Amino acid sequence: MSIQKLSSVIATIYENFPKGRFITLVVLRTTHSETIFRTEGSGEPMCSEFVQAGLEGENQKTIIQRLVMTKRKQVAPERRYGREHLRAHELLYTNIKDGSLCSLNTNAPCEMCTDCFLYGFAAGGGGAQKSRIWTEDAFSILPASDVVGDRTINAIYETGTMRDEKGNPSTALNTSEYIKPGVHFLDVVTLKDVTADELRYIIGNILFTSRYGAVSSRVGRMENQILGVFGSITELPSSLELVQATYDVLGKPLEHPLNINQLITASKQVIANWQNKRGVSVHLSEAEVTNLLTDVETNWSEAERDNFLKRLSQSYEPFRQVATEKKKAKAKGKNTLVEVES
Amino acid sequence: MSTIPFQQAKLVELYCLEPVFFASRELSDTYYTEGVIGNYALTYALGRVNSPYRLQGEATGRPTYKEDFQPIAQDFYILPASPIGRVTFRFERFNALSDAYWYAMTNNRVATAREDLPLQRQGKKPSSFRPSNFPQTGRLRMIERRNKFQTLVFGNHQLPNYIRLGKFMSKVKVNVLNEFPVTLLPEGEYQSQHYLNAADLPQQIETLAFDLISIPPAPIIKNLRFRGAAWQVGQMIVPAGLHFCGRENSNE
Ligand SMILES: [Zn+2]
Repeated sequence: MSIQKLSSVIATIYENFPKGRFITLVVLRTTHSETIFRTEGSGEPMCSEFVQAGLEGENQKTIIQRLVMTKRKQVAPERRYGREHLRAHELLYTNIKDGSLCSLNTNAPCEMCTDCFLYGFAAGGGGAQKSRIWTEDAFSILPASDVVGDRTINAIYETGTMRDEKGNPSTALNTSEYIKPGVHFLDVVTLKDVTADELRYIIGNILFTSRYGAVSSRVGRMENQILGVFGSITELPSSLELVQATYDVLGKPLEHPLNINQLITASKQVIANWQNKRGVSVHLSEAEVTNLLTDVETNWSEAERDNFLKRLSQSYEPFRQVATEKKKAKAKGKNTLVEVES
Repeated sequence: MSTIPFQQAKLVELYCLEPVFFASRELSDTYYTEGVIGNYALTYALGRVNSPYRLQGEATGRPTYKEDFQPIAQDFYILPASPIGRVTFRFERFNALSDAYWYAMTNNRVATAREDLPLQRQGKKPSSFRPSNFPQTGRLRMIERRNKFQTLVFGNHQLPNYIRLGKFMSKVKVNVLNEFPVTLLPEGEYQSQHYLNAADLPQQIETLAFDLISIPPAPIIKNLRFRGAAWQVGQMIVPAGLHFCGRENSNE
């Protein structure tokens, strides 16, 4: 069980105060269909930014435009994936405001479910929970110009032509940009003070989420792979630095589509150096990462999932107690239940 | 002010690896970040002070700076971070999305109760269609990636290589550029190049002229000319006796 190897940086139970336990996941995200990441509305170009190509030599001086998958574009669908299962296993709570079931962005989080405890919420008056999952903007390895395509959209009528039944031509003719399939984003996800079951939940959300960005039935397919897992008392380098260092290792010339095995080898070579960084105590080996992922998949399996999700949800039970419990604890001289819901 | 609480200070550069957002000002549906990073935010971000994951009760309505900083104030102080060069900003649109299959944007609120729709069409106001008291859509002005800031950290502390700042926990690299002894300069008239927190100024100095950046939780002062004792750190000069909430305490 490689989760045990992480025990020095794993919390035994949710606690309200931070304790300097970091788990870092290095994630490779690969598009499997046309994908759209925009910060503004439709018609706007893909989300991209000018950055240094690499960290060394000529690459450091060369500025290229890379695609950006923003942190919010990552966490929103992954969070929704987990919530689907919490809902299916009846582990979402009703909020006190209007008695409706916990729901994202409707100003009424339940403040009690696994999602609320892990990913956080900001409620109007009741309270707020900080997220313990810190994402980062992820960058494409290759320049945007190599991996963005243009598409002309013809709005075809039900007749299958560009003219409606009265013979009027369609005016919906447009070009729009999309990210090609086979584009790689490298990403660093930082987890703070999570328990073993919380770690399984988060990794599950990352592994099983398959659509990102502007969503329709035909676009946004993406595959996520975990390339590395670290335990530390500090944060590790950023997604941008990881992409730049990997770009340095890959050498030139680079062309789309990249060979994924070469890319994985290069990234792993970069992150192997991270184990010597200040504050790093654990770096899971390849076999240990595989073990961890098997553990995650077992817990999320049809046979185990109900048990797993309920056990995780149950772990927050002490923090769902009502005020009378708090008095009792006080009377005994220990005030452990500070997170009591009111 | 005859003694200096800090033997040394570090000149630190903060490099924005991601866009940074603080809600400094609000104009209609746009939320502006000012081109400065407050020293209270930095104190939490550097991990000098523990702040809980879940805020409840009083803590949600009132920050606890005094209580939080009092235990560390004897051997730690940090200045607000001032930009190196001109700050560049970017605008981003944000849009709340629901996890329901059906939803509608109503009065600045995402409604998900589809069964309320007929009621709403009859002119009635089911609660799920009432306005929200926190923004669900709008625009953000953020400090752009690659901006650099600098600050002074007083006291002998090891600093993390990376910190997280702002509402979206944006990753920022911490580079220690130099380390200096802190020396005390006698009473006199000085000009400070650094950004200073108005609430942290010592009571003893006389402020002659300054520019003010009005942001919560306390205004930031720049280009301060003052009369009083001063601390010299390398080539930099700041008023002697800077202290978390120093001005407030002496008013009590
Ligand atoms: Zn909830």
